[in-house]
Amino acid sequence: MRLPQPTAKGRALARELSRTARVSCDPDDLWAASRDCWPRALLWTKAGVAPYPPDVVAWPASAGEVEAIVALAAARQIPVVPIGGGSGVCGGAVPVQGGIALDLKRLSGAPRIDLGTRTVDVEAGLPGLRLEELLQAQGATLGHFPERRASTVGGWIATRSAGQCSSRYGKIEDMLLSLEAVDGTGAPLRTIDGPSAGPDLNQLFAGSEGTLGVITAARLRIWPKPTAQWLRAVRFPSMQQGLRALRAILKAGLRPSIARLLDPLTTLLEGRSVPVPAPLRWVVEAGQQEALRMALKAPLLLNRLVDALPASCLLLLGFESDSLAGQDDECGEEGDHALGLCQAAQGEDCGPAPGERGLRDRYGAADQKAKLFAAGAFADTLEVATTWDRVGSLERAVRHAVQGHAFVTALYAHPQLEGCAIEFGLVGLAGMTAAAAATASEDDNELDLEAAEARYDACTRAALSAVADEGATLSHHHGVGLARQQFLPRELGEGMQQLRALKRAFDPHGILNPGKLLP
Amino acid sequence: MSSLRERLEATGATVVEDGSGADSLSLAGLRVTPPSIAALGRAVAVVRAHRLPLRVRGGGDAPVPAPPGGALIDLSPLDRISTVDGKTGIARVEAGCSVAALEAAARRAGSTLGPLLPTVRAGSVGAWLAGPTRGERGVPGSRRETAALSVAAVLSDGRIAESRAAPRSAAGPDLDHLSLGGSGRLSVVAAAWIRLFPASPALVSSWRCGSVTAAVAAVERLCLDRTAPARARIQGQAGGARLALAWEGLETAPIERDRGARTLQALGCAPDPDAATNQWVREPLPGQPVEVDARWTALRECAATSLQLVGLHAGGSFATLALPQAESADACAAQARSVGARVLAPRRLRDAGPSWESMGAGAAWARLIEALGVSE
Repeated sequence: MRLPQPTAKGRALARELSRTARVSCDPDDLWAASRDCWPRALLWTKAGVAPYPPDVVAWPASAGEVEAIVALAAARQIPVVPIGGGSGVCGGAVPVQGGIALDLKRLSGAPRIDLGTRTVDVEAGLPGLRLEELLQAQGATLGHFPERRASTVGGWIATRSAGQCSSRYGKIEDMLLSLEAVDGTGAPLRTIDGPSAGPDLNQLFAGSEGTLGVITAARLRIWPKPTAQWLRAVRFPSMQQGLRALRAILKAGLRPSIARLLDPLTTLLEGRSVPVPAPLRWVVEAGQQEALRMALKAPLLLNRLVDALPASCLLLLGFESDSLAGQDDECGEEGDHALGLCQAAQGEDCGPAPGERGLRDRYGAADQKAKLFAAGAFADTLEVATTWDRVGSLERAVRHAVQGHAFVTALYAHPQLEGCAIEFGLVGLAGMTAAAAATASEDDNELDLEAAEARYDACTRAALSAVADEGATLSHHHGVGLARQQFLPRELGEGMQQLRALKRAFDPHGILNPGKLLP
Repeated sequence: MSSLRERLEATGATVVEDGSGADSLSLAGLRVTPPSIAALGRAVAVVRAHRLPLRVRGGGDAPVPAPPGGALIDLSPLDRISTVDGKTGIARVEAGCSVAALEAAARRAGSTLGPLLPTVRAGSVGAWLAGPTRGERGVPGSRRETAALSVAAVLSDGRIAESRAAPRSAAGPDLDHLSLGGSGRLSVVAAAWIRLFPASPALVSSWRCGSVTAAVAAVERLCLDRTAPARARIQGQAGGARLALAWEGLETAPIERDRGARTLQALGCAPDPDAATNQWVREPLPGQPVEVDARWTALRECAATSLQLVGLHAGGSFATLALPQAESADACAAQARSVGARVLAPRRLRDAGPSWESMGAGAAWARLIEALGVSE
């Protein structure tokens, strides 16, 4: 591991900032703040390098400290990169131009929970999992359950995060009532929870990825904690029939808390009744490293194997009751209606077990990805979205584009009345195993990293190009970061002009998370 | 002005003098009517290049004159409905199209825009989206969101920025929000993809509550319990208040109506069956009502005796309010303001509302105006 060393500039900056906040130039801290969970950054970690370390890490404990740090940085033209849990998967928190890594985890005071108005005021650095624990202790829930355990409230807002129950509770931007932030001049701003005039500042800051301001606090909508849950898996003969049922459920006005349509391979794995062919099992289980690496050398073949599987697919459905009116079976009533609509589309009730397993393994995907990286693979989730009339062609186009680069799975999730997201799981060959990398020379690691990055980049470029060609949005809830930035101009078109104007308005010195959203 | 007029005419727009100004010293403005979105882009670019005041008329809904020495862009010819896809639940429409025409087209496709404020329904799609409601309406789950799935907006140089029509996106900030609620100041809404609901018959229920305040509190409770009705009406009466509620989900309306009934009974409201409720809940309020955007606290505290609520969500609602007897709209607006509601209509009484400046973003607003090449 080649830890980044403090620079003279960093030390001087640290001395100056230490009058305002807790700071560090220690190599371990610089390394930790140099990366997030972007697959490319995980490849750097395996190779033991940190190509983009910050000059200094600061941990402000109040919005006032954030203001002082940003004001100083603005005066000196020093980049400031806000960091939440460091769990982003697009490289949004990588300090590509060095500067100050502004770690917001100390902005995590006790949230103010108001059960009467169903709101919570929370600081940006509080981990979401902790917030949910505190809410549930008081009989409330935010209903926001993203896959990453370490993610923070500020990170959620900055990337327009979605949880697994978004069909019922919405995405984070739907829960956001107001926010507090510090703009690129160090000036604080506070939006209003209630009627306001002009463009909605909340919706302009949500998704801004730290480029317009540092989000320091937010007011979010909360709901009563569910008192009962209805779960079912429904098997359909084909994805088309599953999609038809899903759309019928939403058109009927039903609001499932969970609605995830699995592709045939994932369906087989969930069902656990039919044996999965060995090469595919190696990929999904990541248990046998050499076999996995061998299989990933022929991604086209792996994808063809999936085509030969039975076409049936599983819809995981869940409903919840708040039971405020004392009726615990309310979710059962909605669930039964939904089941009726599924049966009309030839759906077969498979009981609650697959859904219960899914809930238990809610945070398991990240662990699974770690195993794949250790085995010498890369694993990424590309969550894109479009309207219902285009989801089928979007799935076909992305599968076709990446079939020669990586093994592909697809999951339809976060459905709304007018469309839904498709989460593509991409697993490809990267390079050495983590064990081999640990004992390899620096030169070998460097060569291996170069090849792995090239393979990963080729795969994601092919996928995102297909997404852009299909007119879908390139991100549903992970944000843009470095991973998708190249394709943002294709999505926004002339909107890039608006984005540049927003940047000049809120960050006139161009110091906030430079190199993100705008190249 | 004449060379400006020639340049505007060269864009393909019809140009006439309009609004001679409040006094003889002020300049007349120009009414510019582009026949197409392309011509609209060219006309906006000319006006912005001259850094002249620009106002937008959505389609006859807002009879504002041209600003003195500036231009009024009249979008009324841009009234095409390109697509109404009832199956997907989306419609593509130009900004000058009337909301009523879009609703009629949506109904023919088995869809609806859902309940809207009367002045919104009477206006154009552009005015709805760029106006103070930002195109928002109530959605299932006691939430409120804009009906615009995607906006095509004309920038100051005449180019069109159009977002991807996706149910949700995390590809940066939602830039549509530079147009939504912007009254044409930052960009001009030219067209949009609009979200539609599946049309379904409303299920209504009628109740008696102890007072208007108690009735408002009861509706608030329904919203906080995630069983927000699509619309509600409250009428103060001797010894209490009449409350009517309408739910509109195809399968969910009966479920939510039953849940709502349990909640209302627990709050002390009494069922009050009335065959005319279905009609009454939608009837326009008598007198001179005003339209507001208000939080529940404001709606509870205001002394209105008649309220019609749409766009209900956990935090508040759009409402049409009326005072007792024949009190004027001015008095009603004053009453609404005194409890913190924002008056939206009639237009002459519209509140500016809390601005970016009041949120600490006044300097950013000034820089944004500059960066976008627009003038206030």
